[in-house]
Amino acid sequence: MSSMLSFIIRRLLILPLLLIAVTILIFSMLSMLTPYERVSLYVKDIPKRQGAMEGLIKKYGLDDPVPVQYWRWMAGTKNPDTGEIEGGVLRGNLGWSKTGKGTVWEVIGRRLPATAELALWTAIPMIGIGIYLGVVSAVNHNKLLDQILRVFSIVGWSIPVFVFGLIVLLFFYAKLGWFPPGRLSDWASQVVQSSQFIRYTNMNSIDALLNGRLDIFRDAVRHLVLPVITLAYLDWAYLLRVTRSSMLDTLNQDYMTTARAKGLSENKVIRRHALPNALIPVVTVGALMLIGLLNGVVITETIFNIPGMGSFLAESAISLDVISVLGITMFNCLILLVGNLIVDILYGVIDPRIRLR
Amino acid sequence: MDVVRRLLKNPTSLLGIILLLGFVFVAIAAPVIAPPAKSSRNVYLIPRDGFGNQPKPPNEKHIMGTTEGQYDILYGVVWGTRTAFRVGIVITLITTLIGLIIGSLAGFYGGWVDEVLMRITEVFLVFPFLLAAITLTSVLQTVYGRGEANFLVVLAKGLALLTFGQSPAKDLDPIQIQILTGMLAIIVFGWMTYARVIRGNILSVKEYEYALAARLIGASDMRILFRHLLPNAVFPVLVLASMDIGSYVLTFAALSFLGLGAQRGYADWGQMISFARSWIPSLGQYWFIVVYPGLAIILFVLAWNLVGDALRDVLDPRMRGRGND
Repeated sequence: MSSMLSFIIRRLLILPLLLIAVTILIFSMLSMLTPYERVSLYVKDIPKRQGAMEGLIKKYGLDDPVPVQYWRWMAGTKNPDTGEIEGGVLRGNLGWSKTGKGTVWEVIGRRLPATAELALWTAIPMIGIGIYLGVVSAVNHNKLLDQILRVFSIVGWSIPVFVFGLIVLLFFYAKLGWFPPGRLSDWASQVVQSSQFIRYTNMNSIDALLNGRLDIFRDAVRHLVLPVITLAYLDWAYLLRVTRSSMLDTLNQDYMTTARAKGLSENKVIRRHALPNALIPVVTVGALMLIGLLNGVVITETIFNIPGMGSFLAESAISLDVISVLGITMFNCLILLVGNLIVDILYGVIDPRIRLR
Repeated sequence: MDVVRRLLKNPTSLLGIILLLGFVFVAIAAPVIAPPAKSSRNVYLIPRDGFGNQPKPPNEKHIMGTTEGQYDILYGVVWGTRTAFRVGIVITLITTLIGLIIGSLAGFYGGWVDEVLMRITEVFLVFPFLLAAITLTSVLQTVYGRGEANFLVVLAKGLALLTFGQSPAKDLDPIQIQILTGMLAIIVFGWMTYARVIRGNILSVKEYEYALAARLIGASDMRILFRHLLPNAVFPVLVLASMDIGSYVLTFAALSFLGLGAQRGYADWGQMISFARSWIPSLGQYWFIVVYPGLAIILFVLAWNLVGDALRDVLDPRMRGRGND
């Protein structure tokens, strides 16, 4: 157990270093902007008066040497008039978002539930179906089913998310009218905004359950079907391949022959002996995919008109609101680093060989 | 040659090769298939037939119909092939070159050089790829939008030379700048896997007898690196990397789709599909604005993936786990 502990501690020590490195990289992107463009890191509404900008730049030292500014950006700077500390990434201040009309942090708070809901609903079908397809493919190695699944995998891997999303919308919304874009139908969003409906999490489907409104739950889920499929299909294609090859490797091991020689049924051989070992590499891939959802939501949310973090990133990027974009990226990197850490540790728990490295 | 023969024997990679040749043909024959107007300022700007808002279904004049703003879809799909090849090839070339330099330096010299370079690589890997590309594109577009002369302009001119064959003496065209910023952003966050794989390969071939023998007879560092290590460690990676052209085209198309890559009306598949965003409720009627350019991207990427997949098996079975090390 002590090797496990030192493994975890080692990973924990690397985390802050990586975080600092990430902030340096983000700050260097920020420093490509002029002081005029960076004022909104500290100031909400910039006065329209002449010379106001120059005053602000001077006040917040946006002309100072880069290392000084980096420190200020990280730790915050004291406003000489009020004595309050303003800015400071370490204090959770990521600047003022023009696109979101609020601090970047407020916007994240507002937009996160939609993204979290989407991710929550995607996670299980994404991993579950992907692994299932991979196992089916490996067990039927070189049979027709395997060939079909392999073709699906390689074709799926070649379809861009935005084309896929638009095509499912074409069929299931424009033609059939089954699954509309957006988060809720009009009647449902009126109910959700009314005072009787208590917003526990701001995730519509979950709040509907907690409020005991099955009709709203159904409506929310109806709106989630297409985005979930759009987010998951790429990963199905990829997980299928990873699981398949890992499963094939395992099926050729000597202990599989032993298990069969003991007279176990093929079904039991696969479930009890092959699957647990074959899934070890799949765990990392799967977990990384969950984190990778952060990538996928940008396009999916844009197409399906879901007001989450991804569509916010896209909106602010198009209007060149760099402060918002960098703030969101920073937040995502934080989630990612913590997520990676958890994956690493989980992997260490599952596979003892990793700890010894 | 053996590799080529095996690729041609495999039905899936054969299909991929045929598709690729088809795209090469379309790219070369673009002026014949979809002749540009004599007066056009830039052949990559899709000609418009009026300014009406509603897309028009396929007809005799416009075989694949027109999008919002009456851009001819056939023209865009055909000339977009050239954009796809250019963007994909240039990004792949530069990312592998950067990966090659960093990876071989780290692997060859080891020690603190290796440590520093690999830590830097790790930091770049923290960023989710598409997110990082979007972020950097918006930063770069702000910077280039100011039009100040600095080293970034030199960089963009170099890229313009490679991508469009434009002489560096000429000023950057605003139409091109949008594309170049997207490409630059993808390059900055795209080289890390190559660096890691090349480093790993160099580390392993470094210990082989022939490398030690070369060292013993007094060969110089550079000679060992270029004559003995690189050919064995890098060429397989380079060949495989060339198959990533498809995925780079995908990423660039995604940027264009979001409105960050090619500008409105440019012959670029992602940009053409982005028109569909405003017609989602009536896509059943206007299917052609998604299906034709969408099919072009899918087939293009599929072709590279088919060849790449087969190549991966043929070249080196060890490479299957690439990127997960």
